[in-house]
Amino acid sequence: MEDLKLQEWNPLGYKTLYRNLFKKHLARQDELLKQGKKVGWFFSFHPSEIIYIFDVVPAFPEQYSAYAAARGSSVDLIDASITKGFGHFLCDYFKTTIGMIEEPEKATKPLMPKPDFIVDTRALCVAHHEMTEVFARKYGIPKYTVNYPYWTSDALGKVDELTKIPERVDELYMEYSIAKLKGLFEFMEKVSGTPFDEEKFKDVFETSEKTSKLLIDIAKLMMSKPTPGSQREIADLVFLGFFVLGSDYAYEFAEKGYEMIKERVKRKEGVVPEEKLRLLTFGIMPWHSLSLYEYCEMMGATFPVNLYVNASLHLCDAKNPWESMVRRSMHFTNSTYDLLDGVVENARKADLDGALLLENTGCRITSMIIHPLADVLQEELGIPSLILEAPQCDPRVMPLERAKTQVEAFVESLL
Amino acid sequence: MGKEVEKAEKIDELYNSFLSREKLKQYKENGKKIIGTLCNNVPEEIIHSFGAVPARMLGLADSTELASSKIPTWVCLYTKRIMEDALRGDFDFLDGIVGMTSDDTKSQFYSAYTFYLKPEFSYLIQIPYVRDDLSLNFFRKELERFIAKLSEFIEEEFSEDRLAKSIAIYNEFRELLDELLALRHLDSPKLSGEDWLKILLSSTAMLKEDFNNSLPPVLAEIKDFEGYKDYKLRIHLSGTDFYDVEIVRMIESLGGLVVSDDLCTAEGYYKGIVEGFNLKDLAKRYLNQSACVLTAGLENLSIEDRLNFIGERLRESKADAIILLRDRGCEICGHQCPFILQEFGKMGIPTLILDLDSPYPTEQMRTRVEAFIESYG
Ligand code: SF4
Ligand code: SF4
Repeated sequence: MEDLKLQEWNPLGYKTLYRNLFKKHLARQDELLKQGKKVGWFFSFHPSEIIYIFDVVPAFPEQYSAYAAARGSSVDLIDASITKGFGHFLCDYFKTTIGMIEEPEKATKPLMPKPDFIVDTRALCVAHHEMTEVFARKYGIPKYTVNYPYWTSDALGKVDELTKIPERVDELYMEYSIAKLKGLFEFMEKVSGTPFDEEKFKDVFETSEKTSKLLIDIAKLMMSKPTPGSQREIADLVFLGFFVLGSDYAYEFAEKGYEMIKERVKRKEGVVPEEKLRLLTFGIMPWHSLSLYEYCEMMGATFPVNLYVNASLHLCDAKNPWESMVRRSMHFTNSTYDLLDGVVENARKADLDGALLLENTGCRITSMIIHPLADVLQEELGIPSLILEAPQCDPRVMPLERAKTQVEAFVESLL
Repeated sequence: MGKEVEKAEKIDELYNSFLSREKLKQYKENGKKIIGTLCNNVPEEIIHSFGAVPARMLGLADSTELASSKIPTWVCLYTKRIMEDALRGDFDFLDGIVGMTSDDTKSQFYSAYTFYLKPEFSYLIQIPYVRDDLSLNFFRKELERFIAKLSEFIEEEFSEDRLAKSIAIYNEFRELLDELLALRHLDSPKLSGEDWLKILLSSTAMLKEDFNNSLPPVLAEIKDFEGYKDYKLRIHLSGTDFYDVEIVRMIESLGGLVVSDDLCTAEGYYKGIVEGFNLKDLAKRYLNQSACVLTAGLENLSIEDRLNFIGERLRESKADAIILLRDRGCEICGHQCPFILQEFGKMGIPTLILDLDSPYPTEQMRTRVEAFIESYG
């Protein structure tokens, strides 16, 4: 046990950056609400640039649910959803959000603003589409669906895990996706009452491109030795990748965040003084128990690779905005498992010792791929995995203390 | 009574071909390629037009230990059983599989299946969730893409004439089933829900022309039957990929009579004639299927289409009550059940939810069904 003595934890310091980012995001939201702008609900992997092109107020059921989980109200909301007859084994984000709609008095405040419209893209899961239907019916509001494919290797060849640049793209799929996106823009014009502005479109995509490059660089730098940052801070990058890409405040974050991590790497400074193990992690963070990562890191097991964060990134090309929006859906969690190749190729660079994989009960996307992913990591990189069943908003299935014990045993077995 | 026994034997003979997969294995021995399908919306006519045999994959294992080491234990029983059968080698006779992106479970399961079982041929059909012209056009082209891959695998050119012939065979199959279905709607239905499901399941495990030849003598026997008169409650069965004859038998042994359904394996599978003989007509038929998939018209929600589909079935069959079969791992049931309950509750149609978890039927299930039938029968 001597080996596992907890070390001093030395995060990058992104906390302040996040605080500023949220402050600016919320201030924009308040301002637009005051101006009577329309509210849209959006999901991860949607083309977040539309929020800024059409000046709408965005709300994100996934982000709200994560927030409710961190603040402790998600359990009541999940129970409320089940009491209303919705299935037990559905995504926690759905259950938490429907709980908020049905029993707002139990939900963490501020609640999400009531939507005027909803957009789903199937860029990640059909669950987005399924829940959009439920929400749209509850509120009696319009919705728009962009039907990206579930990607297969015969349509893409190989895909670079971070940039989402594929070897090729089947023309039929690209054309259909773009046509659907153009339909989305027409829908946005209609529901927002804001006409499409070519100049703004260009500006927003240029910002998106600059930001996306920096975010990818941050993910690359995280793979340095020793691991420079903590997953407690890096995991939240998904908020930028999923929801606010295209905003000035996301760019500002990325610029500063990149500088901070670059400096760290230059100094060869790690998140803990003595790195003993380098682990890959995948699965949606258990938002109620994020300190699990901190705990592992303090034991000397750091996380240079977070596949969930990597999935949220893509290299935006402002000269090809339509293709860029489609490429955003070309992550391995929206692809057949032979496309895990790209993941392996990238992970190989990180000199890994093991993997901590989270099976998010109710989420078929992260859960069904878990065993194949563990197999591939073992076969291709020779690293073992610990799989923890961890629904992202329901701590009852994975109490933090039990998770810590399991992780300790895993870490010990690797040392 | 002799006729009754004869009828039951004929139906069981058909059903046994589903349980034993004997016919499929025979086709294979005769040199045909067998292509497993993972969704009722896979346009089987295409596979059929290549001279191959489309076979709906439905697992028969009664426990799922092997599957549990590969896919989560909480996903629907439908996928766990297919995985179990496949890992046990019971699907080794398949030459390939075709999946569809109709929900997360089906998309991910396609990935898991191809990852672990490595079938010689596999294709995942991308289905749009919106029924606009753009999507219909895309879907037709997607079917062309599928045709090209299948043609390469089977080493056979695609033929529009052969597709037209296959469509005709499938339409004949649908018309025969419509005829059979009408017999369930009579005041004294001539066919039980158990027998209906057995017949439907047999149709998934043989070439449709063989089914079309086998059904008429059975149909004649059924028509001759005077019909069930002593049932207590006419029941509509609602659910997704359900095919457990035992549960239907249990319901009917307690005085219920299952007169209609919206199951992916029964009415949701066969309903809908292809209005024409080319690929576009075929695409239209499959995109317009609204029993369970998440496809809807531009201004509609698919749940509304599903409620309409159920409503139509209820009107035709004059069912008095609904039994909702809810697989706890089914994402469609999970999202849609409350709306079905609400909608038909408003109309005063009693509904019972049965949570499916194998092994079943359990004593508790039986008691609940009995009380339901006693209350409303
Ligand atoms: S990916 Fe999983 S957790 Fe995320 S919204 Fe979809 S079903 Fe829910
Ligand atoms: S519809 Fe339900 S039972 Fe069928 S594959 Fe999807 S989740 Fe499983």
